[in-house]
Amino acid sequence: MRFRAEIRNVSTLTKFTASLASIGHIAWVRLDDKDVRFTVIPEQGTQVWSVISPNTIFQDWTIQSAAPNNTINLEVPLAPLQRALRSAQNAVAANIRLTKKDNIPLLSLTITTMAMHSSQQPTSSLSDRDNHFSGNGRAPSTNGANDTSSAFREASVDFFGPKADREIVITQDIPIRVLAPATVEGLHEPRCREPDVHIVLPNLNQLKGISERYTKLGMTTSNPRTPRNNSGIAKGAKLELSANMHGCLRLSLKTDAMGISSLWTGLENPELDSTQLAEGEDGLANHPSTRMKELGDASGQGEEGWATVRIEGRDWGRVLSVGRLGGRVIACFCDEHALILYVFLPEEDEREGGGGESVLTYYINSYSV
Amino acid sequence: MAVLSFSLSPDATSRIYELLVCLAKFGESVSIEARNEKLTITALNLSRTAYASFALDAKTFFIDYDFTASSSAKGGDRFTCQLLNKALQSVFKGRSNDARGRETAIERCDVSIQDQPDKTECRLIVKMLCKHGMTKTYRLTYESVEVMHALFDRTAASQGWRISSRVLREYIEFFGNKTEQLDLLAQDGKAIFTSFTEKIQDGKEVLKQPLETAIAIHTEDFEDFHMQDQMHIVISVKDFKAIVTHAETLRGSMSAYFSFPTRPLQFTYQNFGMHCEFTLMTTGDLRGASSTPNPKFISNRSSSRQPSVAPPPPLNRTASEMPPPARPSFSKPLSSQSQRPSFKAQPSVTESDPDPESLFMPGGEEDQTWDPPNYNNDDGEEMLGWDANNEHPSESFHPTFRDSGTAAPPPQQQQERPAADESQEGLEPTQRLSQVSAQTFHFDAQS
Repeated sequence: MRFRAEIRNVSTLTKFTASLASIGHIAWVRLDDKDVRFTVIPEQGTQVWSVISPNTIFQDWTIQSAAPNNTINLEVPLAPLQRALRSAQNAVAANIRLTKKDNIPLLSLTITTMAMHSSQQPTSSLSDRDNHFSGNGRAPSTNGANDTSSAFREASVDFFGPKADREIVITQDIPIRVLAPATVEGLHEPRCREPDVHIVLPNLNQLKGISERYTKLGMTTSNPRTPRNNSGIAKGAKLELSANMHGCLRLSLKTDAMGISSLWTGLENPELDSTQLAEGEDGLANHPSTRMKELGDASGQGEEGWATVRIEGRDWGRVLSVGRLGGRVIACFCDEHALILYVFLPEEDEREGGGGESVLTYYINSYSV
Repeated sequence: MAVLSFSLSPDATSRIYELLVCLAKFGESVSIEARNEKLTITALNLSRTAYASFALDAKTFFIDYDFTASSSAKGGDRFTCQLLNKALQSVFKGRSNDARGRETAIERCDVSIQDQPDKTECRLIVKMLCKHGMTKTYRLTYESVEVMHALFDRTAASQGWRISSRVLREYIEFFGNKTEQLDLLAQDGKAIFTSFTEKIQDGKEVLKQPLETAIAIHTEDFEDFHMQDQMHIVISVKDFKAIVTHAETLRGSMSAYFSFPTRPLQFTYQNFGMHCEFTLMTTGDLRGASSTPNPKFISNRSSSRQPSVAPPPPLNRTASEMPPPARPSFSKPLSSQSQRPSFKAQPSVTESDPDPESLFMPGGEEDQTWDPPNYNNDDGEEMLGWDANNEHPSESFHPTFRDSGTAAPPPQQQQERPAADESQEGLEPTQRLSQVSAQTFHFDAQS
């Protein structure tokens, strides 16, 4: 079993990992000839299933295993992976490989970076003459020369010219588990009926900020209606998210004490690709979203034509952290049932167009009233 | 009359806060020792594997500094006490962050210690003089204890390095959070710092093993580097991070001195009238390191340079001259730390006696820790331990007695001490714990 790759886009991979890390602690990573899949299935809450075209994040990669398509299944803890990637943010080069140490499989990240130190700033020896504490006439310790005159010379060199920044090599070893095919056979993407409404979400940054305000409002412990778990801690507020086929999105909070909502209009409802539907053209006509198009209007006033889901505020906030990747997000509403988010990673150059898109799919269950 | 009083500038006040924050990572209490020429603030960790000390120079760190030695001969040249770190931190924290230009900025800090029990309550008094004539006064109680200092023989620590603290601070950011140990190694012209935890997880739990990080730095990046090739020295990574984080606030270079694994290692740096020293226990494979017949060194020192930097300032303990006193009261030999298996396997290299230069009692020789101390042992090489006194190696009087030991002296010493005490004139100005019960009459007289 072999895998090694040069990471070509540390920043994207770091943001990607960070988004996943908000959802759960451990990811099932599946690597094969064609793509890289990261799946996070926490014990409760939203799941995320993602596919990344390897060319988006890797270059010069090799993979080999006994399984068909050279498939490798791993269980990777996300916090160490995120931490390791963060240390690569200023890297000149970073590569990742599957390896073993003391019989424990690891993902080893080797990072070559220029640490940011350079001696452009004067060392304190110049400005600071009072560190002759030991009283033995030693030159200021920052230069450590054995005599004052050379210390002075060195100090001036430091001041006026940066030392050549040398590379440092950082190795990060992330503990992982290799999963047998049998273990992952039973894992399937959740299936859902055809959604009633699909709409492109507004800027996630804005949506996240507003959602967080709502969540906070809904969580005030003084609210007697806030459901509490066994230990008496107020559970997250349930936000109501609705959309229609006329470009409207509505976020509401309804509690005993208040009812507030925010409305976005002018959003895009993407056209369904009829070639991808099971029944082709007929399927399009009978598609729930087509029927929904007949209800409601672009103003968003009125109660018709909305598909609604109820989601937990904090969970929603964690999902929305995917906004850091900056992709296009399409939300598919199954009224009163579930919400599915498709996040398409921005493609950086034409090359990847052929290789397939990178998509993260979030499956969010809806709470009943 | 105060035995000690000094004044601090706002900058010095915030430096005190920063050093307290650093000391807090070692222990809950801080010990203060005041002498004529300096004030030393120290902490020792619970497992006694790390000692941190900040020595503040009377002339350069403070605006004013006045220490009145008491008249009694024994211990009169210094004053020692102990306080809770948290209590001091809350006093010195102030508003130093937004001090610039804010209304409540500290202009000066005056500290004094009132220690005459017959005249006033014994308190450490801190006055923060702020703008617009506002003064905040804090009165803290302290405990009189003898302070223990770690011994470190700089002349025996022939290996070491020195590097900018800012650079090191950047490097520690690469370490994962949950690791326990740091391995220092020199190899192929590079210095390799590895932050790790020895593998203890199994099965499903293997994913909880913390991230292991290794950083390889060219020795040319060090201002000075001299270390034996392939020798692993291991210290606590948390201690290292705490030290480097503080070192960076003083902006200079940080030096490391060491010899072999299982011998103590010392980090030092100084600036602004503060001299900072940290003495840590190390682990690692001693046999591997010391048995190499012709050890190869990775070094960027020119042959003309001395292996160790300047001669140790008077502050340093020249331990080779001073036999470490016996300390059988170490009830917890370090082998009890479950996560240092290499320590247990430590070879009893030559003697049944522990190495006097080693900071701690070796685990394999637990029996010896319980042996009664041998007071009449002039060469003093047999037992090692803490020495509360860090100067005057030429004193003919045996240091065990002179220092009046630890805060919790063993029974044998306890009996000896009253005899020693009685030979002095009068009572010490500070109260000993052992004397508190005997002095209840004293309190009554005051009330």
